[in-house]
Amino acid sequence: MTDTPVILTRNLTKSYGGFAAVQELNLSVGSNRITAFLGQNGAGKSTTIKMLLGMIRPSRGEGTVLGKRITDAEENRAMRRKVAYVAENKPLYNYMSVEQTIGFASSFYPDWRSDFATKLLNEYKLPPQRKVKALSKGMRTKLALLLAFARRPELLILDEPSEGLDPVGIEHLLQMLVAQAAEGVAIFFSSHQIAEVERVADHVCILDNGRLLVDASLDQLRQSYRRIDLVFASAPQEREFRITGVERIQTKGHQMSVFASGNAEAVIERARDLDAVSVEVAPVGLREIFLETVKEN
Amino acid sequence: MLWYKAWLETRSRFLTCLATLTIFCAVFVGHAQGLIRPEWKTDYNRLLFVTQQFIVTMWILAVVLLGMGGIVRERAIGTSSLTLSLPVSRARLLGIRVGVGVLEAIALAVVPWATVFLVSSLARMPILISQVGFYVLLLIAGGSAYFAMAILVSSLVESEYTAPAVAFGLVLLTAIVFDAWLRPFNLWRLLTGDFYIDRHTYLISWPFPWRGVLASMSAAALMLSTSISVIQKREF
Repeated sequence: MTDTPVILTRNLTKSYGGFAAVQELNLSVGSNRITAFLGQNGAGKSTTIKMLLGMIRPSRGEGTVLGKRITDAEENRAMRRKVAYVAENKPLYNYMSVEQTIGFASSFYPDWRSDFATKLLNEYKLPPQRKVKALSKGMRTKLALLLAFARRPELLILDEPSEGLDPVGIEHLLQMLVAQAAEGVAIFFSSHQIAEVERVADHVCILDNGRLLVDASLDQLRQSYRRIDLVFASAPQEREFRITGVERIQTKGHQMSVFASGNAEAVIERARDLDAVSVEVAPVGLREIFLETVKEN
Repeated sequence: MLWYKAWLETRSRFLTCLATLTIFCAVFVGHAQGLIRPEWKTDYNRLLFVTQQFIVTMWILAVVLLGMGGIVRERAIGTSSLTLSLPVSRARLLGIRVGVGVLEAIALAVVPWATVFLVSSLARMPILISQVGFYVLLLIAGGSAYFAMAILVSSLVESEYTAPAVAFGLVLLTAIVFDAWLRPFNLWRLLTGDFYIDRHTYLISWPFPWRGVLASMSAAALMLSTSISVIQKREF
């Protein structure tokens, strides 16, 4: 198995007048892994995905998906044959029934797995004859996911895939993502549900204000990010701890809390040099990493 | 399957327009039996000329309605990301929509006139098939500009209700402007056969007005190619 990037962008930028929705994005999404694309609302996630799929044109920069240039209409069309995309609002044609929707989607993909689609149809308890407009939000999400999974894609791009699903549906989705990745499908998904991301993602990208702030494996993040709580005999000086890797310092009286993306050992050493009364080092979860990163930005 | 999608999107509009046109024509012509008297042919031909005027007006409204839709409207209702993620070019998406629309427009011209022909025959007031053919051909070939205009408007205007309002407004505006100042180029009069009708017999006289029809078809081709260009450049 090779690790050629399935998504590769260089200085990808999208501006609307004076507002830059995505700025100089250099993204590299590896194959055979699940990559989470995190960001607040309006961070530029959907704009990035739309640029990758040729729905909007970049203002600057370039990119490839599965080796095909995103700005070349013909290459982009060929790429879309191998990519499954589920948009945030789970768009489906209201005038079609579930069965018609599946028949319609299957006609575009030679590798469509009818047996798998039937299996998911039964598992998701989707009524084949019911019109899409009569489906609940959760059922619409399930149908959109069925269409994505059954086409045997090389890359799955999912925008908020768990939205509208109940806990059982979310569990099924997460298992399905892991199973698809095990089959060699690269998965690139955005989500606001950090707990879900932590369960399945191998790699995390955090976007804020159109800029890529974090691009690392989840293991790397877990190993390098630390919260160090310090207590001193007298009020500490923050400037003493402004060293490489320290992202944020909060001081309250004799207490100090340091949030570090790396170099935690240096912080501890500095604290001991300054006669810290207490030094407590704690690993940081992805939720905190995300919140601190966007807060800092 | 894109043909099927285009059909599903337009079928209720199409069937409603077709039923309205056909039923009205059948009733209108069926009631003309009272005209039967020695000179009925001229009166009846005049009635058919009026029928064509009605069909043309309704047909224009119908094809403008059928031209609405497409991925710009889908953007407004939120399904464009599904359509555009399919491995299909935007030109093909538009082309298939135009193809389905043209077939429906042809049916909207042929079926009402076929009904008129049938009802007339049953009422023992047979009409010349050449006259029916003339009227239908005028409508389909000459009227293509109206359908293309609707496609162009639907490619430019996003809102679900603004696009038809703009398209119907343009139809009305062109009808008024051309009738007041550019009557020889009035497309509505071309389609009704107003320029070619013999005012004594109320029969349309050949030859077929190819120049006017070709001008309309050229305008249609230009508007459709502009629509493709607009759709390809547009961001969703």
